[in-house]
Amino acid sequence: MSGAEALARLQAEFAAALVAEGDSGFASRLAGERALALRRLAIYRRAVEANRGGALRSAYPVVARLVGEAFFGEAARRFARDCPPDDADLNRYGPGFPAFLAAYPHASELPWLGDVARLEWAWHEALMAADSPGLDFGALARVGEAGQPRVRFRFHAAVRLVRSAWPVLAIWEANQPGRDGTPDREEGADDVLVWREDERVRAALLAPPEADFVARLMEGASLGEAAEDGWDFSAALGRLAAGGMLAGFSAGTPVPS
Amino acid sequence: MPARHPARAPDPGRAGIGLRTPHFEALAARRPALSFLEVHSENYFADGGPALAWLERFRADYAVSLHGVGLSLGSADPLDRRHLARLARLAARIEPALVSEHLCWSSVGGTHLGELLPLPYTQEALDHVCARVAEVQECLGRRILVENVAAYVRFASSTIPEGEFVAEVARRTGCGVLLDLNNAWVNAANHGTDARDLLRAIDPASVGEIHLAGHEVTPDGLVDTHGAPVSPEVWTLFAEAVGRLGPVPTLVEWDTDIPALDVLLAEAGRADAILARAQGPGRAVA
Repeated sequence: MSGAEALARLQAEFAAALVAEGDSGFASRLAGERALALRRLAIYRRAVEANRGGALRSAYPVVARLVGEAFFGEAARRFARDCPPDDADLNRYGPGFPAFLAAYPHASELPWLGDVARLEWAWHEALMAADSPGLDFGALARVGEAGQPRVRFRFHAAVRLVRSAWPVLAIWEANQPGRDGTPDREEGADDVLVWREDERVRAALLAPPEADFVARLMEGASLGEAAEDGWDFSAALGRLAAGGMLAGFSAGTPVPS
Repeated sequence: MPARHPARAPDPGRAGIGLRTPHFEALAARRPALSFLEVHSENYFADGGPALAWLERFRADYAVSLHGVGLSLGSADPLDRRHLARLARLAARIEPALVSEHLCWSSVGGTHLGELLPLPYTQEALDHVCARVAEVQECLGRRILVENVAAYVRFASSTIPEGEFVAEVARRTGCGVLLDLNNAWVNAANHGTDARDLLRAIDPASVGEIHLAGHEVTPDGLVDTHGAPVSPEVWTLFAEAVGRLGPVPTLVEWDTDIPALDVLLAEAGRADAILARAQGPGRAVA
């Protein structure tokens, strides 16, 4: 066995010992007294679990508060077993946690939990997304009314639209620090626009036609395609522009007459 | 690329502190005199947003040290080019005075453990980690510092004393050493060795930074938590180290149970006093 292979094997065995259910036999690779070596290995085992759980807790603080410490810890352990971090930057760990929670049998009494988690991940991503210089309003004005339906927007990288059948924004707001956890609405469905403005992430509820319009624009539809049945999009577009959510546009090419 | 920030180097006669989110506001308002601010590089790997904006503002007033926890220099896995590219991007943006990584590993087969795991101190591991340090320095176009880590276990296969291993990495690659005295103390206490052996093995000229931090005493040994004041034993070790090395940019690290800024500044002040004595007239000139 080459030196590189020996190192690879030692590391693979060490890593396996840190997640193994029982005694992995790895203590035989360690110097010193066996019982102490096993207890020392357990320090690493707890640290790995704490680091992964901590990364999830910081991305999903509302979920953590909703389900409590023990439940969250167990969910995080099971999630890490299925989906261990594949990125060395733990701030990026856990995009799959909402889907895991949505399918988690122990959370079946909280059917909205996965959607609350989706909102939290959108918030988390919005915090880290690229900055953007903002829309050139002068250039947009020069497109003129006739060209407007062909305009397609590029969104600021922080913008997310989270659509849920549940009152996720009310639940999220009720579980912010200083709130007692009681949502001020029991009814959904919530369509939540998440964006970053002045270095802060913000969230707002959209009415269904506005959410449909924004969703279509985000998918790359032109203004003409996004505003079905002549729906007046000026207020919706104004909100996107005022929040710095539009980063650029293309005016398209006029259809030859 | 033209410099975007004023050139700033750490003052070796003063201590710096770890820059942590709970202190942003207080630090920005007070701007205390500090040698430098150190951040965990990965916490600023975002594409944009408020954390990076804060760091850019602090960089205007302070020298910054980028201290990585995820590059996994010692992994048998291929070097993580994505991670390295993010570090290079951050370094280009922040123009740090110091860039450091740990002499450890944390990934296997592309799965990340998020923990600084010790290497076996063997010739093979030494060859491997030296090649990786050289690769990182080549990519970043600069010298890095490598830190001795806390190790709760030792491998039966290790043949080289830790201090010699660390010293040899610096000698072969030209990298500097980030001498973590708390880790040295934790390892000595946990394995019944002498922390001073590590100090003696390392070429004083290679030491580019010193770390001080607190640990926790548990029934299973000392654990490097960075969640307590620097222990009396580590202060003693620090005084001895600066007596031998002269003044070196020194960092007080505090990462868990983060206290009020004043507590951290008081620890830094205590380090300042020891560094000042090392610069005083009593110091022997080599």
